[in-house]
Amino acid sequence: MLMQQLLNGIVVGSVYALFALGFTLLFGVNHIMNMAHGSVFMWGAFAGLYAVTMLDAPIYLALLIGMLAGGLVSVALDVFAFRPLRRRNAPEFSAIVSSIGADLVLLAVAQKVSNTAVMRFPFDAFPVVVFNVFGLRIQLLQLVIIVLVVAMVFGLVWYLYRTTFGQRIRAVAFSEQTSRLLGINPGPVNMQVFLISGALAGMAGVLIGLVFNSVHFAMGEPLLLRAFVIIILGGLGSIPGALIAGLAIGIVQTLAVAYVGSGVAEAIVFLALFIVILVRPTGLFGQSTAAMRIQRA
Amino acid sequence: MSATLVLQDVARHFGGVPAVDGVSLRVPAGQITGLIGPNGAGKTTVVNLITGLLHLTSGKVLLEDRDVSREEAPDLARAGVARTFQNIRLVPDASVLDNVIAGFHRHEKAGLWANLLGLPSARAETAELKRQAMQLLERFDMTALAEHRAGGLSYGHQRRIEMMRALATNPKLLLLDEPVAGMNDAEAESLAGIFRKVAADGVAVLLIEHNMRFVMSLCSHIYVLASGRLIAEGLPEAVGRDPKVVEAYLGA
Amino acid sequence: MINFFYTYQSLFDHILVYALLAMSQYVVLRAGVFSLGTAGFAAMGAYGTALLITKAGWSPVAAIAAGALLGTVTSALLAFPLSRLRGVFQAVATLAFVQIVLSATQNWVSLTNGALGVNGIPKVASTPVLLVVVVVVVLLLVAMGRYSVGRAMDVIREDETVAVSLGISVPYYHRIAFIVSGALAGLGGALQATSSYAITPNEFGFSMLVAALTMVVLGGRTTVWGALVGAAILTSLPELFRVFADYRNVVQGILLMLVIVYLPRGVADTVLGRMRDRRLRRAALASAPVPEQKPQIVNTNMEAGAHP
Repeated sequence: MLMQQLLNGIVVGSVYALFALGFTLLFGVNHIMNMAHGSVFMWGAFAGLYAVTMLDAPIYLALLIGMLAGGLVSVALDVFAFRPLRRRNAPEFSAIVSSIGADLVLLAVAQKVSNTAVMRFPFDAFPVVVFNVFGLRIQLLQLVIIVLVVAMVFGLVWYLYRTTFGQRIRAVAFSEQTSRLLGINPGPVNMQVFLISGALAGMAGVLIGLVFNSVHFAMGEPLLLRAFVIIILGGLGSIPGALIAGLAIGIVQTLAVAYVGSGVAEAIVFLALFIVILVRPTGLFGQSTAAMRIQRA
Repeated sequence: MSATLVLQDVARHFGGVPAVDGVSLRVPAGQITGLIGPNGAGKTTVVNLITGLLHLTSGKVLLEDRDVSREEAPDLARAGVARTFQNIRLVPDASVLDNVIAGFHRHEKAGLWANLLGLPSARAETAELKRQAMQLLERFDMTALAEHRAGGLSYGHQRRIEMMRALATNPKLLLLDEPVAGMNDAEAESLAGIFRKVAADGVAVLLIEHNMRFVMSLCSHIYVLASGRLIAEGLPEAVGRDPKVVEAYLGA
Repeated sequence: MINFFYTYQSLFDHILVYALLAMSQYVVLRAGVFSLGTAGFAAMGAYGTALLITKAGWSPVAAIAAGALLGTVTSALLAFPLSRLRGVFQAVATLAFVQIVLSATQNWVSLTNGALGVNGIPKVASTPVLLVVVVVVVLLLVAMGRYSVGRAMDVIREDETVAVSLGISVPYYHRIAFIVSGALAGLGGALQATSSYAITPNEFGFSMLVAALTMVVLGGRTTVWGALVGAAILTSLPELFRVFADYRNVVQGILLMLVIVYLPRGVADTVLGRMRDRRLRRAALASAPVPEQKPQIVNTNMEAGAHP
């Protein structure tokens, strides 16, 4: 039973990690907390769901559409909510307020479009195949999720560290001023970062929609709060931090729900956030993993 | 006679790279001491070390013979260390008067509750502070602009507001970080007159500047910083002729 | 959620209560404290008051005082750790606090009745009562902003380094702002409970948090008038644009984005600022026959690179 829950926790945690990766990427490069990231995630889920229910798309296509939608919404956020502020050299406060406003808009539209309904992926959207390994029930979906997340993480790391685009992103993360002097135009870099983080969030949206069998307009909010816990625990802008903390939170949450009930589990997660912020705002990996860090200097 | 401010072999490293190393200097009361050097020499770093915004890697800072090397910035400010900033930092939407009154903070005596509720003692103190602030404005010839929005005034005026605010703290040590940068000669000269008066009142003044001519005419003793190290010190004329100094400025 | 109030609470009452919440948000933002915790303290005030009346039989007045006190004490406890944080971290920590309180009110069914909320709260906070409270609070906040506390907060908000260099203790004023904010929010929550017959957990969640922030962003965070103007605008908007009723949140969101970009100081503060500038210009023209000296700015120093 415990092992089963641990497995479930790892699966959920890896999706959380995916979501948090996009979030921490944004923070590391732009130094902003995108309060609308949860809605990006939600719109990815919506896009994936509508692809299946209205366009009869196979699930892998729906996943891609979800990623695309997430990426587009994220870029739109940059254009409408963040770029005007960057141009005016506005303080951090303004960016957060602006993203809250954008979040409201995204939520309201989603609510209208979905009529506040809780929607589900059709039963046969993903093949229901269960393996029995040493007494553990492992669904194909769970395996696929883990594989996908691992692939995405490798892809992201490869992109950041082995391509020139990634190099530019890391340069801007290190210092926007210096990269400008080196001839790097921060505009396209920012757009890429928003695109990537949005795509990751969109994928996470579809996957969570499948795992928990529910898609509704408010599904992004609890995730955003978990993302806060994750990136603060794991260290702002730290990739391994987001991964490990994401898994940890997924496991803790799943176990808490299984053994103490969902209401208390929520409270536990937020209490954890509260305590971590107070005790060690730089996270567990605060100063150590400088190698995989994309954080601003 | 011991000086108000003494730096003993002060160093500040950033991850192994010395921004400032082996700096020793004395700033006596009643005089204007100069700290000059080319761009990037580390002058502002020294100021930040003195005011506690940066921690020392090694060395000692003595304020009136007291070791303040480990003290935090607000405590140093309360001990009588005042500074102006290289880039102007005012409250742009507040009036000139309010900006200057902020400098009186460390001398305020009325209690928290009196100020929270607007009791007579707080009102009286605020009125008194306004009066004292107006006196400062008179000294700087800005009484007509007392109620104006600080952010809307000319650069020269804003620099003066910064000075008034620093003087309002009634400091023992005044650190002027490039106070006349970007001013024409006439403006700089009027400020110089005020600096001389402040020093004459017994304040120890450390003037950090680029403008060699300005520093020469004003300082009784000059230290020259280049690449984080002191390369010369002494009387203005001597320093001005020192070949090392000339090279540092021209070769920079 | 806001519609719920209208059936039991007149629009004006609603504006008054929200004015209190806006003022709670204004106090922290004026001091540069990025707290989003108003909704959480309001929840504590509201539930404290409501439960004391309905379950413990307290007199309404005592219960309101107790509710406000609960908000104050909670914020006082949180103020100490939170004054060590800055910016985004304060925002996230206070957001987590709001969520924790929300979780508690939703799930601690034995105490709070869960999602059903607390009903049958006597309507003690009538319009005159609310009006008096708001006026008194405004006077207190105007006083607070006018003397040393307000001055210190303004410097801290604009530039913490300067504040420190003037000997201002930043954590101290952060704490004061936080505690006053918690007290006002607790009071607002207590009055909300006693002016609308019933309260539910969701009233004090994300939508209230955003509303409090929006009001202050709209109106301005450097004067009390900003909070009042913001409260008036935001709560009467749905009434004015009844046709947009469905899209209220969209309008609120877009408003937030537009205001923070194009009018970052808020409506009231911008207007007050312009009025003051105009008054000063007129006074200068009237009294000074000689034009104001604007010295020539000439860069005598190549390396200075400074410019107004």
